[in-house]
Amino acid sequence: MTAQRVFVTGIGMITCLGSGVAANWEAITAGRSGIGPITLFDTAKFATKIAGEVDGAFDPHGYVNPKEMRRMDRYQQFALVSAGEAMAHAGLEWPPVNPYRCGVVVGSGMGGLASIEEGFDVVRNKGPRHVHPLTLTKAVINLGPAMLSIKYGFKGPNFGVVNACTSGASAVGEAYRMVREGRADVMITGGTEAVITELSIAAFNSLRALSTRNDEPTRASRPFDRDRDGFVIGEGAGILILESGEHAQRRGATLLAEIVGYGATDDAYHVVMPDANGEAPYWAMRLALEDAGIEPEAIGYINAHGTSTDLNDKMETLAIKKLFGAKSYRVSISSTKSMTGHLIGAAGAIEAIYSVMAIRNGIVPPTINLENPDPDCDLDYTPNKAVSKQVEYAISNSFAFGGQNAALVFRRA
Amino acid sequence: MDEVEKRVIDLIAEVLVDVNKENIQLDSKIVEDLGAESLDIYDMIALLEDEFHLEITDEEVEKIQTVKDVADFIRVAKQAS
Repeated sequence: MTAQRVFVTGIGMITCLGSGVAANWEAITAGRSGIGPITLFDTAKFATKIAGEVDGAFDPHGYVNPKEMRRMDRYQQFALVSAGEAMAHAGLEWPPVNPYRCGVVVGSGMGGLASIEEGFDVVRNKGPRHVHPLTLTKAVINLGPAMLSIKYGFKGPNFGVVNACTSGASAVGEAYRMVREGRADVMITGGTEAVITELSIAAFNSLRALSTRNDEPTRASRPFDRDRDGFVIGEGAGILILESGEHAQRRGATLLAEIVGYGATDDAYHVVMPDANGEAPYWAMRLALEDAGIEPEAIGYINAHGTSTDLNDKMETLAIKKLFGAKSYRVSISSTKSMTGHLIGAAGAIEAIYSVMAIRNGIVPPTINLENPDPDCDLDYTPNKAVSKQVEYAISNSFAFGGQNAALVFRRA
Repeated sequence: MDEVEKRVIDLIAEVLVDVNKENIQLDSKIVEDLGAESLDIYDMIALLEDEFHLEITDEEVEKIQTVKDVADFIRVAKQAS
């Protein structure tokens, strides 16, 4: 079977910048931060008191029945609402005529951690028989994709991807391969995360991974800046509808972008630290470009992983230099995490969407709070202001605790 | 309808995704008429136990059929406690 071309035909998202792609893109191109004080729990005893929280009213279009919402963890709610937007955007009818040709692959780093914490509180304080029966379905990560299949009648391949901060990118990459290899015609894919919880913030704080710039939340996420002091956690979801060229053409779908490359590697190095030499991330990008059949100079925009941690930003800069050589100073790079914070398992998915939007709109989003670049980070990170630029190809990077690396290449459709 | 009955209907309506509150009568059979399946029943038990501070054993659940049965059970259990 000849390889299928794979197109993005629908997108949907929720972040601290708002509900929906339009609200997000407006904020991203305006260079607006969505970071603020944590309201989901009392932070009095916590070193970090800020995050990129999703606003309470995140389903303005009513994509999900409120009664169904009650039976979901927040990470599942984000996925279902974003998928509602993406499916409406794609104009796909459901349930599909050929349900076994339609699948779901959605990533999440920690799934229903909030429900696990709540359940553990009950089992310890009230006793085991008071644990709510839905604790389990809210906790586990495969129920995000399962709920999407139940909602849309997609009976094809279905699984969750658990890859920490690379989960979203890995999910999109695996779904892309599935369509390309002819194993499915349509895939709902992306990532979702809701871990602004007590245990998660406490644990990240113990690793000294989070920014503690509590008095200046909007200035806390500052990738590649000399004064960065860790990442800022965010929450939300990004969902993409991927479709084979044949299927999309047959129904006259609008093509938002084409996915043409995916590369995946691992550092094989350390449980939390990236290998400082950037070798495996370089290979992820290189393999993605080889998959796309293009040379590095074809890339007009890199959506960097850019976490705003000392180790990542230096390492990623080095990996880009390894791949692009002298041309690395000419490619536009940015870290949209400067505005959204780091959405962990949803990051790769929302950044895939921003990359698609950059190509479609001819706008490279900025890296905000880049005031004094780290001397080791000397590339064009599109500081503080969006730039108009025709982009033919964009690459989106994601790297994880555990060393999992993924790169996705998108082309203008 | 008394307060307990009203509250029981509220909670059952909260659990059953496809059932409107207006369609729940005191003599509605929870499984046959309202379409509750086992997970719905466990969900209801958890909500009722929390709301009325009581325990409903699986044996007691077997004897409950209608919405009124639930309210009667709660009234008896509250009096006993």
